[in-house]
Amino acid sequence: MTAAPSYRLEIDVELPLEHFELAVQVCLDQPSTAIFGPSGSGKTSLLECLAGLRRGVRGALRFNEQVWLSTAQGRRLSAEARGVGWVPQEGLLFPHLDVRRNLLSGAAGRRAGGRRRQGPAMAFDDIVELLELAPLLERRVATLSGGERQRVALGRALGSAPRLLLLDEPLSSLDLPLRRRLLPLLRRLRSELTVPMILISHDPVEVQALCDDLVVLRRGRVVAQGEPRQVLVEPQHFASTRELSAMAEGGSYENVLAGTVIDDQGHIAAVELADGIVLRTEPPPRPASAVGGATQPRQVLLGLRASDILIATERPHGISARNVLPARIVALRAAEGVVTVQLAAGLPPLVVQVAAETSAELGIDVGSRVYLLIKATACRLYGS
Amino acid sequence: MSGEPVLDVLLLTLRVAFSATLLTAVPAIALGYALARWRFPGKRLVASLVTLPLVLPPTAVGFLLLRLLAVDGPLGRHTLGFDLDLLLTWKAAVVAAMAMSLPLVTRTARVAFEGVDPRLEAMARTLGYGPWQTLFRFTLPLAARGLSAALILGFTRAIGEFGATVTLAGNIPGQTRTLASAIFSAQQVGDLATADRLMVVALLLGLVAIWVTEWLTSAKAPRGTT
Repeated sequence: MTAAPSYRLEIDVELPLEHFELAVQVCLDQPSTAIFGPSGSGKTSLLECLAGLRRGVRGALRFNEQVWLSTAQGRRLSAEARGVGWVPQEGLLFPHLDVRRNLLSGAAGRRAGGRRRQGPAMAFDDIVELLELAPLLERRVATLSGGERQRVALGRALGSAPRLLLLDEPLSSLDLPLRRRLLPLLRRLRSELTVPMILISHDPVEVQALCDDLVVLRRGRVVAQGEPRQVLVEPQHFASTRELSAMAEGGSYENVLAGTVIDDQGHIAAVELADGIVLRTEPPPRPASAVGGATQPRQVLLGLRASDILIATERPHGISARNVLPARIVALRAAEGVVTVQLAAGLPPLVVQVAAETSAELGIDVGSRVYLLIKATACRLYGS
Repeated sequence: MSGEPVLDVLLLTLRVAFSATLLTAVPAIALGYALARWRFPGKRLVASLVTLPLVLPPTAVGFLLLRLLAVDGPLGRHTLGFDLDLLLTWKAAVVAAMAMSLPLVTRTARVAFEGVDPRLEAMARTLGYGPWQTLFRFTLPLAARGLSAALILGFTRAIGEFGATVTLAGNIPGQTRTLASAIFSAQQVGDLATADRLMVVALLLGLVAIWVTEWLTSAKAPRGTT
């Protein structure tokens, strides 16, 4: 899906933190990796170790053939020589420069770094266009909103021709609706950029929408790594599903599916998830150019909260829910009321939250065929 | 001895103060940076020694310098093998002014550097700038307002310097008689007209310095963040 070049980042580092020790051994090679975990699990510290901003890190770091850190050999590559694009939570724009000069400071940094920065260089105009920064160029940094700040910080990092992007909760300073509106922008970035990225997040929706690989950090240790949806729904990695739900906005785990809008002309739209599997949803906001015109198939992300899905053992009749979809149960944790179902082969599993006694009362188990009942209004559309 | 031209006194004073400020700027700013950013053994001692002239009677500082520079002192002819030829010249006035303004400039510069978020410097490094480029392109511009204020404070301290200057450089008309000592001398011999004129000059200089400093530290100045 992305054009990011293959890379390999081997991490084996230890760093004493205030309450625990960060001790991470992991190898990353996916175009987009999420570092996931509750607050205070050492995610930001890990990212700063990678960027070369922490003193006292022991162990080894190797990016492709380049040694970034080797305590054994007494080697440590400086931050400027690692060629990473660091985008911290608060953006850290230079307050004495306006937006244009902040962006240019990235490109000037690339020239200052000389041969050491070998990532793909993006032209200033391309960065401005990709991140929609044109209206901001003459603004002073102090007048920018949180989201604008993050976009400028990202643009500045891209200008420095990084070989790896490190994004520390790129959307965390924004309110939820704005975060969801920016998701498509990050998706587009992900598919248009030729730089691999590692991003910190504790939002399961972001992780599912953006990442190919997920590393779960807990008190400074890696407790799980793998395909995001698979890892997210395995609650042994978390204290409880309640913890995962608490991290999710709105207190319920949210499934994220990619689909194509095939009809948005009526009050109810249709989104095709895979061959013949169609969800009826509220109409997505149409692009201005398409108003009144015929439906253009377009990609959307669709969020579905685990608590908004009902399970029936027989196909119900006379029901208001617009979606009745056959599915098969692939996992069940009765005590926690978590049912994992599969709509079709090739589609990611969906998590359904039910009351703890429900599975016993319904007599369902792994392998059971059931029907999912989903209201059109329960489907959240996040744009392409 | 009345009627010494006010203009000559003013020019000598400005020459001494500018020289002292220029010579103090680099060491004081470097020292302020070291105190703000580095951890090293004896940092407290260095900070205390730098501050000392602020709390000592200026005449004590002047006398200490006099002992250092005297013929048999550590910086005198007997030790160095040649004569620095400072005492009782305008250069001695510069040395005295430097000693008195260095603490002020250093302390203010330290605060200015402490006001620069070190994470901005870290950001510059990740973008590809080396340590020196980071210093000149980011740290110094970000601290620029505070550093300018520091230099102006040092300059005004140099203009007003009296005790250390009189002790080290004397009060020789046309040579080492700066504004402060000229007012004192004129008043001593009862030349109130000259003392009045000199006082007005001092007032005007002070007001200009205050306005410039306030402009630099206000939000109206174009750049900087301290």
